[in-house]
Amino acid sequence: MRNPWAQTGNYRTSYVQDTTIFATYREIVSVGVLLVALVLLPQFLERSQVLTLNFILIYAIAVLGLNITTGYAGLISVGQAAFMGVGAYTVALTAPYLPFYLTIPLGAAVAAVFGAVVGIPSLRVKHLYLALATLAFQEIFVWSVGRMPALAQGASIPVEMRNFLGYEIGFRNHNHFWYYVILFVLVLMVIAWRNLLRGKYGRALVAVRDNDRAADAMGMDPGRTKLMAFALGALYAGVAGGLLAYFQRSVVIEEFTLAKSVGFLAMAIVGGLGTVVGSLLGPAFIEYLRLSMERLSEWIKGNQAIQQLIPPGVDVASALLPLSFGLVIVLFLMFEPRGLYNWWRLVRSYFRTWPFKY
Amino acid sequence: MSDFFQFLISGIAVGSIYALAALGFVLIYKSSRVINFAHGQLIAIGAFLAYALAVWLKLPVLLALLAAIVLTALLGFVVERVFLKRLVGQPIISVIMVTIGLASVLDGLMYLTPFGSGNFSYPAFLPQEPLRLAGITISYPQLLAIGFTALFLLLFGWFFQRSTLGISMRAVADDQMASMSVGVSVERVFALAWAVAGVTAASAGMVVGTVSGLNQDSLIAIGLAVFPAVILGGLDSIPGAVVGGITIGVLQNLAAGYLNNFVPGGGTELVIPFVVLLVVLWFKPHGLFGTEEIERV
Repeated sequence: MRNPWAQTGNYRTSYVQDTTIFATYREIVSVGVLLVALVLLPQFLERSQVLTLNFILIYAIAVLGLNITTGYAGLISVGQAAFMGVGAYTVALTAPYLPFYLTIPLGAAVAAVFGAVVGIPSLRVKHLYLALATLAFQEIFVWSVGRMPALAQGASIPVEMRNFLGYEIGFRNHNHFWYYVILFVLVLMVIAWRNLLRGKYGRALVAVRDNDRAADAMGMDPGRTKLMAFALGALYAGVAGGLLAYFQRSVVIEEFTLAKSVGFLAMAIVGGLGTVVGSLLGPAFIEYLRLSMERLSEWIKGNQAIQQLIPPGVDVASALLPLSFGLVIVLFLMFEPRGLYNWWRLVRSYFRTWPFKY
Repeated sequence: MSDFFQFLISGIAVGSIYALAALGFVLIYKSSRVINFAHGQLIAIGAFLAYALAVWLKLPVLLALLAAIVLTALLGFVVERVFLKRLVGQPIISVIMVTIGLASVLDGLMYLTPFGSGNFSYPAFLPQEPLRLAGITISYPQLLAIGFTALFLLLFGWFFQRSTLGISMRAVADDQMASMSVGVSVERVFALAWAVAGVTAASAGMVVGTVSGLNQDSLIAIGLAVFPAVILGGLDSIPGAVVGGITIGVLQNLAAGYLNNFVPGGGTELVIPFVVLLVVLWFKPHGLFGTEEIERV
């Protein structure tokens, strides 16, 4: 008799079973608990802590998109921040005329179009070349924005939203309001992600990644599948960019540089490629790493005794961030290539079979 | 018209730096299929090492240059041995991401030296007065860049045609399995490719240093400009790297000369390489001399 609460392994025997999301009731309950916790969390936090959370959740959306392009389709994208920028600038230009529930989807759509255009080489060549196409787009995007008077040449463009359905959004409740909006969008995007990738399309992506010739022979169109992956990844980035624009109340080019794109890749890898859990853990890990490094360098700058020890001309404060960031990427790839997701999986499987060992 | 030739000459000078940098990049790609995102950092480190040895340790210039080249080659070798060798057989994303991570680490390390926060320039050892020929001026550092690249091309030509190591590298690039079966050490070739890449990176860095001074950001930017050059030339072609590098350099200078007046803010030379990169990927993704992958099931 199958126990709906506990499971000792994967006993899926049919396609229908394999496309189910939750294997046991326990998983449904744990997702529910997580959601309730996320909804209640900001009530116990300061405004500045909610600010960090908001960034993490927005980055999680962008990383989810990257997990379609890089995690599922195996196409390296170093342009995710630029796609995010496309979404953000679309929002900045349309926000004075349209409500946010229209501008954000619009930004996502424009970003998806850009993603498809950048992905055009995928019709002919394989993954390595595509990484360079995204790199080129990233550089061209930052350069062009910096020279467009309509986009303030990369300087700050204000994005204002003072009230929503009569609910006043002021200085005090800004972070909390947007936390719930971002959380809502994130949940929607996760559901879409999961449904998209457990079905026919997700399987086609995996098939094309693992062996595109075999996939071709079995009737999938590798070029179109990859192009779709690019467009979808960019669409997620566009949503994240739109949310970022509203939440930051402005759009600045510094948010959409190559360094940020590399940061998203790092988040995806540290979290664990191609997983929802990883898309949440990765951004959280990298953001908190960044914050603690910033605090550490502030502390070094303020501490006279340590300043004495450092020889002149040595910039420890600005060295800390790239050093720690690079080390985290390299160490994870060498010792835990499956990322934080793997740790979480180990913990989960312990509890799933508890009180038995297996 | 003399304007045009002026742009052409300066472009060739800049382009030969790219060509030099691209050589090492292509070498790594050819032998181990790794796209090295840390190439700009190798270039910067080579240039800084030469400065540190020549100015701070007061070594004779030639010895300092040679020592910097050897040290950067050693760095490339160590990077391959410590990081990339462990990732053989891992998905290509991991390997590329490791080079991105390494780039970040090396960036951080450079911030720990005075080079991270200041501009430096080599002591002038070339005549300051530029050379004038039929209305075209060319500075000695630019001549040095062209000469250095030509020299390295000759050296590489000899190395790949005549030396056993060079021939085994070509063999590995052509077919790893076949070369393993005739006794070529593929491992050694991978490490060697990184070391040679270090050599070209360091020499490119020194040439940049003499032409335009030492600045961490602009040296690292050369590492990014290498991508358009190698894609245009063909990712796995050594002559392609040279042709691609010089073409990109010339295009940059022509763009700066002719287009900057029409663009608010100027700076078209910064974006032209990437436009070329995207266009090449759209229409001729294997570049001018790259081998097209022909796949059979």
